[in-house]
Amino acid sequence: MVTVKINGIEVTVEDNTLILDAARQAGIDIPTFCYQADLMGVGSCRMCIVEIEGQKKLQPSCVTPVLHGMAINTETQAVQEARAGVLEFFLANHALDCPVCDKAGECELQDMVYRHGPHKGRHAEPKFKFHEKDYILSPVIVKNSNRCVNCMKCVRVCREVVGANVLGALGRGDHQEATSFARGPLDCDHCGNCIEVCPVGCFMRLPYRYKARPWDLKGADSVCSYCATGCRIVLEERDGVAVRSRAQLGVGINNETLCARGRFGFDYMTSPERITTPLIRKSGGLVPASWEEAFGFIKDAAASIPPDSIGAQPRGLRNEETYTFQKLMREALGSPNIDSSARWAHGAVEAFISAMAMDRGGVSVLDCVKTDTVFVIGAYVSEENPVTDYLIRRYSASRNMNVIVASPRAMKLDSSANLVVRHMPASEGALLEAVLAAMSGQEPDPKALGQAGISADEAKKIAAKLKGSESVGIMAGTDFLRYPSGIGALAKISAALEGLGKKVLRLPLLDRCNQRGAWEMGVHPALGPGYSRRETAGAGTDSMLDAARAGSLKMLYLAGTDLLAMNGDRGIAGEALAKLKLLVVQDMFLTETAKLAHVVLPGAALGEKDGTVTNQEGRVQAVKRLTRPPGKAMADLDIMTMLGSAIATGFPSKIKSASVFDEIRRETGIYETVDLAFNNKKNKGNGHDNKEALVRAAAARLEAKPDFKAAAPAGPDSYPFALVTGNHFFHSGTVSLRSETLAGLAREPVVEIGEEDAGKLGLSGGERVRVRGKNHEATMLLRVRKGTKKGVAFIPENFEGAHANMFFKRGEGIQRVLIERS
Amino acid sequence: MIITSYAIGATRSYIYIRGEFDFGAKRLEEAIKEAHAKGYLGKNILGSGFEHEMYVHRGYGAYICGEETALLESIEGYRAQPRKKPPFPALAGLYGKPTVINNVETLSCIPAIIEKGAEWFKKLGPEKSPGPKIYCVSGHVKKPGLYELPMGTTARELIYGHCGGMLHETRPLKAFIPGGVSAPMLTPQDIDTPLDFDSLAAKGSMLGSGAVIVMDNSTCMVKMAYIINRFFSHESCGKCTPCRDGTPWLTKVLRRLEHGEGRPGDVELLESLCTNIFGRTFCPLGDGAVMALRGALKHFRQEFQYHVDHKMCPVS
Repeated sequence: MVTVKINGIEVTVEDNTLILDAARQAGIDIPTFCYQADLMGVGSCRMCIVEIEGQKKLQPSCVTPVLHGMAINTETQAVQEARAGVLEFFLANHALDCPVCDKAGECELQDMVYRHGPHKGRHAEPKFKFHEKDYILSPVIVKNSNRCVNCMKCVRVCREVVGANVLGALGRGDHQEATSFARGPLDCDHCGNCIEVCPVGCFMRLPYRYKARPWDLKGADSVCSYCATGCRIVLEERDGVAVRSRAQLGVGINNETLCARGRFGFDYMTSPERITTPLIRKSGGLVPASWEEAFGFIKDAAASIPPDSIGAQPRGLRNEETYTFQKLMREALGSPNIDSSARWAHGAVEAFISAMAMDRGGVSVLDCVKTDTVFVIGAYVSEENPVTDYLIRRYSASRNMNVIVASPRAMKLDSSANLVVRHMPASEGALLEAVLAAMSGQEPDPKALGQAGISADEAKKIAAKLKGSESVGIMAGTDFLRYPSGIGALAKISAALEGLGKKVLRLPLLDRCNQRGAWEMGVHPALGPGYSRRETAGAGTDSMLDAARAGSLKMLYLAGTDLLAMNGDRGIAGEALAKLKLLVVQDMFLTETAKLAHVVLPGAALGEKDGTVTNQEGRVQAVKRLTRPPGKAMADLDIMTMLGSAIATGFPSKIKSASVFDEIRRETGIYETVDLAFNNKKNKGNGHDNKEALVRAAAARLEAKPDFKAAAPAGPDSYPFALVTGNHFFHSGTVSLRSETLAGLAREPVVEIGEEDAGKLGLSGGERVRVRGKNHEATMLLRVRKGTKKGVAFIPENFEGAHANMFFKRGEGIQRVLIERS
Repeated sequence: MIITSYAIGATRSYIYIRGEFDFGAKRLEEAIKEAHAKGYLGKNILGSGFEHEMYVHRGYGAYICGEETALLESIEGYRAQPRKKPPFPALAGLYGKPTVINNVETLSCIPAIIEKGAEWFKKLGPEKSPGPKIYCVSGHVKKPGLYELPMGTTARELIYGHCGGMLHETRPLKAFIPGGVSAPMLTPQDIDTPLDFDSLAAKGSMLGSGAVIVMDNSTCMVKMAYIINRFFSHESCGKCTPCRDGTPWLTKVLRRLEHGEGRPGDVELLESLCTNIFGRTFCPLGDGAVMALRGALKHFRQEFQYHVDHKMCPVS
């Protein structure tokens, strides 16, 4: 610790603290442009220069660490003149076109000049102009270099945080321009983090362009509704229309970063395809109806049905809704058949929860990336959880740590990993068994190695890195739920590491918002709220579909789930839904499933209701309502209670969200101490890890038997590719397809293979190819990725017309497919 | 360099040379080849077990690459822009490894010192900065060129002795720049200043690169300042604000003065801009630009003012 005097105020700070941070701790604000917490300091803008007593020159406070006994002055005349001087230089070539600039009103340059700047211009020379008109860099980024202040935050965030590394500077001196290569169109993540960090109107959102002035906007704190990373966002509306989503510095684990989905994907809220009125099936077609008619229809149809209904849900629903939903099903209707996922077997979910110790309380991702070794397996983190990928990249660059990535497909995070292992799909278990053997000093089983498609050396390297660490962060993802045969080994490896006295932090990587919340609310056939085991288990999704096919299940209530598109076997799902006597679908859009429904109830988007959601870490965060649902659409909680009171006696017709959460606190136990208040506060200390928002451990441990048999691969042996699925980079489920911006980034189905395979087939990226499997064949665009395992093909689950589940059949293992030029 | 590397245990060294110097680069490549052939470079140098490789890196001629950290960036393949210090290159330099950086002129002294001894070397020049110095004389002298002389040779000796005096007998000395364009110029009254580090510093100038520019009385100081400043604004790397946006501003004002478009207050504006740049830049390039202009303003302010008042040059 060192003690310094800043403007006469004594502060004691950690060694090597920057003067800027020390001043902020003392409550003194120093203006900056190029400084950004979490990016490496450059000290180039010279805005933050301060006077250090005894030193002749003014020093940049953002790169100068404090020394014991230093006396620093931040407000002397020399400092103030220097600031004004720097601002005058910024303005010398600045376009000064504030009246037509999107940033005007929230521009850091405007604010600085107002506070510190010269209020009279002296630059009476011709200005240098980079270009006359703004130019478009990507479908979401538009650029005006004439406004640039050369802080290079865009370039740095792209390189250091996002890892896309597509921005750089052209030219030199005052002709220096931060932009893409030769100002060409960007082929990148389109995440827009360059826009968010830009202090001026240089990088701008294209979809938001000329839509609003900052002072016209009303904002609401929210959480991104796509993956389960749980990024905090501020949604902003003008005249009742959501026009912008942005992240805030110092708020949430994502800080100022977001991915393309989080920053641009909110516009599904304003899609013209939203359902605005309840629909009832009459003479074969769905026709608009009033809420009373819809509830009446359901009441009449359900009257003769014994309590055998189900609900499959998690998409976009809050904790309050999922909790109320299971209460409605179990208590009011008396049906135990309730499941949260259309995609995964509930037994796998249970085993995964147990193996990842989710019942032992929440684990902060920020603690997880501060371990000695981060081991990512069974997750395509760079594309499914981009912000988690940013965190791993950023921390691994500034710390001495291992990052191990095990995945069949190459991903962006590979470049930040010091060990990358490419294994065959659905062989996570075999890989972990081999690692376990290597850890105990045995030679890995050749059969396991063969199945995983890895060498003994690779298994030994992973084992050595794990054994050589004092703490290990295991990040395991949804592939374990798709191929549950690996869960047993996943549980074993954590136990083995703990047995060696290591600190093991387990972070599940999930791909849907509030997935974890749904499980914790008890939307699971065998588990009640707070991971409590139910005495008698109900039917899971697959059993319910089987029962429906057999005619013993007559009603299904689906809230927010596109079961047909997402279930592991589309054939079975389609057959089952067609046989139902009553199918109630509650959704924002007329999905493929909704088109088969007898009654469609228009629900609301996450930004249209208050409540809480739980992310993959077990962090509970509040969301606030920004706009009203369109037309007659209602918040899902209201629909559930109204439906409940219509068909069951004693169910309240209206409950307040806050009172449901109080009940959740009481009933789950694990939510009892969760602190929601902090989450909406911007914290200046940049300590964005609020552990009070994490759920705590359940009273009793969840015991699950993780013995799942892997099914044999299906399809002719002559088909060379093993087909895997997951989410497309720009999509999550099917909702994102209704976002105009995200659909604009990727509208068509794609199949992705490795570079080597593509070369062998004589195919190149962008070509139209035919993918032929045993059960289905379809034409799609080819995407080629360098470094993907040989013999692996990937089809995202998102696109209509080529859903990956068309290729799969329940009971069959990995599908083999053939790819040929169409 | 091989001996230095052996002393500090470095296995790689680089010679950075400007892209324009084709002949020099080729000659160095040849020399490295010869050294390899003789076993002075490579895996096992002269049977000592010491391994060393030497590379010639050809830059593209940016002035900023003379700044040692910008030079390191350039070798690594990045834009040549200075790095923040600390860490200094001796701790984390090229590719993050501890790095010793020396000028060729420094290294070229070593063989002579080894051959003739330190005592001999110390006797050359003044006590505090002994040794030879290469003076590169250009401008209005009879015999411009490179002169290797003992450190501390006076300007009078250099100009009137070694260089054969002023180019035209009728045009006497007006000013001279003792050490490259960033060194403030001196006037004939300082002609007897020894050209070494301390003596020039005492006169408010510096030895710098030892490039001496001699100007006779036909030289317009505004034009001179304009050309020097144009160079600096062209060579500014763009990293920090005062240099990136300040030096082109100075250039624009100086260009107007030179072209007879001066406005009242321009001289004061130049001085004020100098204040805003000097000492606030990331590296000394911006300081250099200011020092040169301040030198000209200090001695020839009335000439600048004449350009403002009369929209023409009093000299040419």
